[in-house]
Amino acid sequence: MNKLVRNIFIFILIIVFIMAFSNSYLSLSIDNLAYILAIGIDKADENNLLVTFQFSTTTQANEAGTAEKAPAIINSVKASSISSAINLLNGYVGKQLNMSHCKIIIFSEEFALDGISEEVYTLINDTQVRPSANIVISKCPAKDYIENTSPELENLISKYYEIFTNSSQYTGFTADSTIGKFFNNLICTTYQPTAILGGLTSDNLSDESNSDYNKNYNIKSNTAPIEGENGSENIGIAAFHRDKIVGELDALESIAFLTLNNNINRFLVSIPDPINSGRNLDIYLSPKNSPSVKVDTSSSSPFINVSLDFSGQIYSMSDNSEYLKPEVLDTISESCKQYLETLFLNYLYKTSKELKSDINGLGKYALKNFFNTQEFDSYNWHKNYQNAFFKVDINSIVKSGMLITDT
Amino acid sequence: MTNSKIGTVEAIMLILTIIVTHTILSLPREMTVAAKSAAILNLIFVSIIAIIISYFIVKMLRNFAGQDIIDISEFLGGKFFKNIIGIIFILYFLVTSSILLRNFAESLKIINYPMTNVIFILSLFIVALCCANRLAFNASLKTNLLVLPFVLASMIFLFFANMNKFMPERIFPIFGDGLINTFVLGLSNISSFSGIVFLYFLPPFLKEPEKLKKIALISVGISSIYLILCVSTLLFMFSFFITTNEITPLYNATRYIEFGNFFQRLESIFLLVWILAFACYLSIISKFSMSIFQKLTKIETKKPLIDIFAFLILGISLIPKDYSISSNFETNIYPYLALGIVFFLGISILVLANLQKRKQNMGIKNSNN
Repeated sequence: MNKLVRNIFIFILIIVFIMAFSNSYLSLSIDNLAYILAIGIDKADENNLLVTFQFSTTTQANEAGTAEKAPAIINSVKASSISSAINLLNGYVGKQLNMSHCKIIIFSEEFALDGISEEVYTLINDTQVRPSANIVISKCPAKDYIENTSPELENLISKYYEIFTNSSQYTGFTADSTIGKFFNNLICTTYQPTAILGGLTSDNLSDESNSDYNKNYNIKSNTAPIEGENGSENIGIAAFHRDKIVGELDALESIAFLTLNNNINRFLVSIPDPINSGRNLDIYLSPKNSPSVKVDTSSSSPFINVSLDFSGQIYSMSDNSEYLKPEVLDTISESCKQYLETLFLNYLYKTSKELKSDINGLGKYALKNFFNTQEFDSYNWHKNYQNAFFKVDINSIVKSGMLITDT
Repeated sequence: MTNSKIGTVEAIMLILTIIVTHTILSLPREMTVAAKSAAILNLIFVSIIAIIISYFIVKMLRNFAGQDIIDISEFLGGKFFKNIIGIIFILYFLVTSSILLRNFAESLKIINYPMTNVIFILSLFIVALCCANRLAFNASLKTNLLVLPFVLASMIFLFFANMNKFMPERIFPIFGDGLINTFVLGLSNISSFSGIVFLYFLPPFLKEPEKLKKIALISVGISSIYLILCVSTLLFMFSFFITTNEITPLYNATRYIEFGNFFQRLESIFLLVWILAFACYLSIISKFSMSIFQKLTKIETKKPLIDIFAFLILGISLIPKDYSISSNFETNIYPYLALGIVFFLGISILVLANLQKRKQNMGIKNSNN
């Protein structure tokens, strides 16, 4: 009898728990969810936002059994906030919008000028949003960016969104800026946030806009001389002060940004050829160590000394090249050093004087100069960074060519 | 009888259980907020003091071989005093574990069970508690011995997996909010080592009571390393914990673990391990509360107490109206409660009892002479 009562009690307990937890299970059931891959946020009229959602779609298999690209499902809604937009769309699509697979959050540049902290706080507060979701500042409306993004080499757009920032490791043309990093830097006392600079592939660029790109990589999204079916492009970095966008970095400046953050494996630069004047040499450079930064905060104008070590290999090749001669390599190394010094100095002064934003977080190297946080706070790093002076020491050793050393 | 005795390693894990469960919730964040960039320095300082205190406790317990703090209170102030001290420790165990359970259940609700009433999440732990407590005394301790190494390993994994996101410069300015905040006001962080409360109750349960010193020093040492790992993870990874309050900060750190595009979203594994650790913690706390109660009331068997204590924990955990109240208790009241009961009351009883014993011994010596 006692055993029977115990079994009945256990049975009732199981039923109660099944009923109690089934609501949570149902709300997270795949049948009831619509997975968002991308969110675009634009400015709309009357203090409203225009929020665009891109949903995941299943790939279609044709008769031959190969997967075909499924058309993107994109919905837009005008609302006063992101949460209202999600709520409105929940009703429209008849499913609960789920952001656990959201890979990219796009803000239009126009929207980012007014500040994006409210949206970032809201998104980071959501348990579904991954801290690894990328943040893109689009030079075109975010809706257009989403509508035009159509990767040529990937059938699944979600895969493209997942891997498109990987190229930053070997090109340095953009950064892997995530919402987690953005939020962290937004509140940090020594850093300012950054985001990926996105735009549309322009097929009708004027000749002036791309006249010098081949030499200097002075390109960024919306002005890059690329023609293709991808629709969108991500070149350059959007620099912020607090939550407002204050400027843009082009491809070359992005390389400098990533190098100072120790976030790049190697990159290609085009330096003036010291042997054949008027021509350029393409060199693959790899940072040898993490950058060494020393900050002197004895005055209100911090003096920042940056030392960088690179090893390089000559990539471009022409006839009459002698890339095994030590004196030739020394001359190229010296030219490379001068080129990089100019690049990094220009970049650092741009962040200090033009952007007025310590996007590389050089303030973190100044922290050790202070005894306690009150002293650091009273130094007012972000204000004094605008008066900063820089010295860049480059140690670049160009070792050789690649497969061919002499022609 | 030997089945109810606790081995040395089990005892070490027992003391670690309290720290582990607190670090899952807000403890590392509170330490980081209190000492800012000097959190690690403060923790090293506090750890040294905790080691000295635990050594001191063991030394004073040596004069009362095989006795716990309840027996010592009886020696010091008679039966009435013993009852008061026993009730204080039972309430301390029940209230702190209940509120901790409530906070953990609220975090689980936010993360995994948005549509489930928190009472059902709490009840799941209570059912586990009732089942575990029906088993032999050291069944929970043995389970804890299996689960806790996973928790410790998970924390080491969390530290190393996130290492590429660390910014070690955050250790500066070296003195955080100043010397007074780090070394004087920061002393309150010693409440993190409240796990040494079990030192007061362990002597009668130990298989090898002479190893109490070893147990105390090793457990506090491991606790210090564990806490340094947790605090370093938060301090080096995030700047926002100082100004922004997040539930379960370490859970937030687990969300950043990624190994390429394949190994992602490992936080569920961490949650699973933490849930197991929490169930072990509740079982151990209620078992010790019951054994104190048994000692006070001289009840022969614990069986009738199992459900009563389990429902008491459920009842107390439901008292806070919402998460803000229970979270407030954990961050603002619990540290002082631990300081008052574990460090002040416990040590005072031991000091006074030792003085009385010395007096007694001297009296005996004098009468013999």
